Amino acid sequence: MRGALTLCLLLLAATLAALMLGQVRLSPALLWQGLSTGEGPGALVLATIRGPRVLTALGAGAVLGLSGALFQTLFRNPLAAPDIMGFTAGAGLTIIAAIALGLALPMPLLAAGGGLVAALLVVLLSHRRGHATPPLTMILVGLGIGFLASALSSFLLTLLPHTQATEAQRWLTGSLAARDWGHVAQVCGIGAVLAALALAQLRRLAALELGEDLAAGLGLRVGRARLALAGTAVLLAAAGVAVAGPVPFIALMAGPLGARITGAGRLPGRMLAAAGTGALVLVVADLAARAALPGIQLPAGVMTGLLGAPYLLWRLSREMEKGEL
Amino acid sequence: MIRLLGLCALLALALVLALSVGARPVTPAVALEALRAYDPTNPDHVTMMAIRLPRLAAGLIAGGALGIAGTVMQVMTRNPLADPGILGVNSGAAFALLIGATVFGTAGESSVALLTFPGAALASALVFVLGGGLRGDVGPVRLTLAGAALNALLLSLVTAIVLVRQDTLDMFRFWVAGSLTQADSRPLAEMALIAGAGGLFALAIAPQIEALSLGSALSRGLGTKPRRVQAAALAVVTLCTGAAVAVAGPIAFLGLMVPPLARLVAGHALRQELVASALLGAALLLFADTLGRVVMPPAEVRAGIMTALIGGPVFLWVARRLRPGASA
Amino acid sequence: MSLDLHTSGLRAEGLSLGYAERPVISELSLDLPRGEMTAILGPNGCGKSTLLRAMARLLEPAAGRVTLDGQDIHRRDTRALAREMAILPQAPIAPEGITVADLVKRGRTPWRGLFTPWRAEDASACAEALAAVQMTAFAERPLGELSGGQRQRAWIALVLAQAAPLLLLDEPTTYLDLVHQIDVLALLRRRNREAGITVISVLHDLNLAARFSDRLVLLGRDGLVATGAPWEVLTADNLQTAFGLAARVDPDPVTGTPMIIPL
Repeated sequence: MRGALTLCLLLLAATLAALMLGQVRLSPALLWQGLSTGEGPGALVLATIRGPRVLTALGAGAVLGLSGALFQTLFRNPLAAPDIMGFTAGAGLTIIAAIALGLALPMPLLAAGGGLVAALLVVLLSHRRGHATPPLTMILVGLGIGFLASALSSFLLTLLPHTQATEAQRWLTGSLAARDWGHVAQVCGIGAVLAALALAQLRRLAALELGEDLAAGLGLRVGRARLALAGTAVLLAAAGVAVAGPVPFIALMAGPLGARITGAGRLPGRMLAAAGTGALVLVVADLAARAALPGIQLPAGVMTGLLGAPYLLWRLSREMEKGEL
Repeated sequence: MIRLLGLCALLALALVLALSVGARPVTPAVALEALRAYDPTNPDHVTMMAIRLPRLAAGLIAGGALGIAGTVMQVMTRNPLADPGILGVNSGAAFALLIGATVFGTAGESSVALLTFPGAALASALVFVLGGGLRGDVGPVRLTLAGAALNALLLSLVTAIVLVRQDTLDMFRFWVAGSLTQADSRPLAEMALIAGAGGLFALAIAPQIEALSLGSALSRGLGTKPRRVQAAALAVVTLCTGAAVAVAGPIAFLGLMVPPLARLVAGHALRQELVASALLGAALLLFADTLGRVVMPPAEVRAGIMTALIGGPVFLWVARRLRPGASA
Repeated sequence: MSLDLHTSGLRAEGLSLGYAERPVISELSLDLPRGEMTAILGPNGCGKSTLLRAMARLLEPAAGRVTLDGQDIHRRDTRALAREMAILPQAPIAPEGITVADLVKRGRTPWRGLFTPWRAEDASACAEALAAVQMTAFAERPLGELSGGQRQRAWIALVLAQAAPLLLLDEPTTYLDLVHQIDVLALLRRRNREAGITVISVLHDLNLAARFSDRLVLLGRDGLVATGAPWEVLTADNLQTAFGLAARVDPDPVTGTPMIIPL
């Protein structure tokens, strides 16, 4: 309980800081005035720039975090995350491809399509008839899909005219610049539906966590349950990618970090903690990326990359000590 | 021996194609003529000497060097997914080069190009230590992920630099994928020497590396000093990767694809494998570069992107066969 | 269809398991009536666990079928079946940091629909299961902090909370010391006697199996060797056939059950 409170307070503090800081600095008084009355100099900044930006970051971080925690629990491996396994890269690739080919399809659809295709490829390619598929093979194959998706993305980038290429590159890094209320509505709406879908499947996840045999003994259709859960998790990640780009490492970090902050041991608690922590990390990363260098707006993905890569290396050394890799 | 001749023939074919195919096709006869009697008023001859030949040289150096680096890495770590690109050594070298170019304002100077070596050395040491490579018994997943983490970290830093200095988007393209296009402005002769030295060193220590690949306990029994051999092998990787990046930028997946092919040709004797790797690496890179010139004219696809597009499926094919956790 | 004594219980009919090119078990027929405690025995690699997995519908048979009360278990709704038979696999996986109580709760999965809240009967089933394995005092302890024997009792509590009248266990005593092996088997025997639960388990130790079972199923490399009461199955001849073991069988001086003395 205290842990959950800590996370909520951290989220609140980060959100307020993200709303106040930036090129135009708002004092707490101005922020309050803008929020409560909708007037004053703060209101304009909040309504047009920071409000949508921060809320999009919260929403995208939450769906990515939840997606990562679902995968990590499903595969029982802290390295199984949509950003490691190439699903976010696949989602990013389809969007770049649509830009390059001039297709005007809605971003969430594109992202979902790319993510699902990448996931399907990972499943198909790591499966061998008559053999069980170890999660590590899936992770490796996922890494390969990610490599291939990034190679294709950079290939497509070379086809774009210079200005578009810069923009697309920024987008591929994962950025929250120039978001509007449409993005907020999109990620929150889609995210809420998918999160409800995921929470409804938590009991199945709880059974699957005990191993496939026991889950089957408890009356689960194991294959179907895994597919439904993995599909939901891929779509969650895609919902995040559609508004924030393939921000690296949020999904990887959110689950373990959330459990650390909240101390949540039960499954629903862990999932909520992961969503909250994903939101927290993305808001903080975006704030840091905006505020790190005066006058320059770095994309949030740069910050999560700088944070996440050392985390991944640390995680690897931990797994090494446990002798699991 | 016959297979080696076959390899040489393959390389010769790659050379001819690399010289003649492009936006301005040049017949092999004209190419030969340009070499024998250079006529500066003949545009074909100018194309040859100013563009194609340097490009060819860069391809030979980078391809050969990366083939050797990949083979040494794969044999030493017993990891079929080891590759200077995947493990972040390319990125380390290219990052150092970018820093140098940002500070000194040019990437072409051979003194700046020398920065690739400390970059490659640091990156390879880091990824091997963090990935558990020094222990010898590395799971492929760990090493690959360590490389992915290093790549991601450096990518974030480069993105930041590029966005801070708006004039450097070309640097970014360079970073994302290597290419042979600006070969005439690169220090070809120096890097050829260094890569050659790396290759010779690799041939010299090949028996020790082979012993090491049997596991550190057994190799100690065979009289090698594992730490020293590992350091020497990392030096080879550093020299070869640094030279390759200095002439062509980061070329991914070449070091992944070459070793298994080289093994097909040369069998399991490391010295022969290294020679075959150098020949195959050079041929493959030249093919990739030539292919990049013709897939969507008039635009050229960077050689590094071509190798990544070809190498991605190879990575998947290898990864699919590995059963980590099941065996280790 | 009549539910006479012959069709009541778990039954294998002409069961072949494994791939066609390398069958693990072929053409096996077996009748395991309700209310008994059965142990499946045999040398390593004879297909004991494979047989148990097939009987628990975890494995699709290559030929033949497994029936429960006359109905093919592979044709039945898996959730409905989970209310009638529970399976504890050999190496279940414990989520990190889970408490005993949370673990046992997951045994209620087949009784809970998508939106069914946690009901009083769920709570009482869990409490009963914990009491049956004498783990009530440890309910809030993380599983990882317990001893091997306690952990195994927690897993058994999970399948007991499933409240199925038929319980299948794959090597429930492996990795336990002798005291805890006896402890686990005595516990299962108690549930069998007191609650009338049918218990079918794969066991390694012949003497313990003889002591705690109504019926033994002895498998050899070439399939079923014998099945029946312990004294009928554990004969010197059968042991020779199944294990290639020369042994004498004497009555256990304490319980009177067969005791194997290898020669």
